[in-house]
Amino acid sequence: MAERRKYGKKFCKYTEMKVDFIDYKNTDLLKISMSERGKIMPRRLTGNSKNSQEMVEKAIKRARHMALVPYIVNTQDVTDAAYAK
Amino acid sequence: MSKLKHYETMFIVKPTLTEEETAAQIEAVKALITKNGGEIVACDDMGSRNLAYEIQKHKRGYYFVVYFKGEPTSLKEIERNYRINENIIRFIFIKYENKKEIAAWTKMSDEAAKKAN
Repeated sequence: MAERRKYGKKFCKYTEMKVDFIDYKNTDLLKISMSERGKIMPRRLTGNSKNSQEMVEKAIKRARHMALVPYIVNTQDVTDAAYAK
Repeated sequence: MSKLKHYETMFIVKPTLTEEETAAQIEAVKALITKNGGEIVACDDMGSRNLAYEIQKHKRGYYFVVYFKGEPTSLKEIERNYRINENIIRFIFIKYENKKEIAAWTKMSDEAAKKAN
């Protein structure tokens, strides 16, 4: 017997919000597709569409370069919030 | 007439400078863009904020964004000046090319202009 689906249907949050361009300065949008440690979440977990995944990927990499978003969050040294403004 | 392309540049100024010095730095960059045939459309002052990680032992930085139209060849000269300038610790150039990106660019620059007024 086929495995039963445990989760609801995945949907792309960006398509739902009708975002047609993801800006690297808008960190709130980027955080949806990032793990707690600052990694880019795969499409199979977030359900992003191919188009938006490519856009966030680029935006996150740009934001990392400009120190808006961390490359990695060190859990051994959590003196202040990782995504503080 | 040469075609002007849509660009955006963001840079981080050292946090150790005084207010007047940062303002002077920003003016210098703006002057550099206009001098190289660029046309500044809007500026966004993001202010001083915490960096996500340390850059050159600095934990904070002053962010500034300039939306401009310019010639592709002028970017090299601007970049060279960024690299010489010790007070700028990071910078980025972003080119907006296709229709969708240019639409996003006009929207963002409009918002920045509205915020400045």
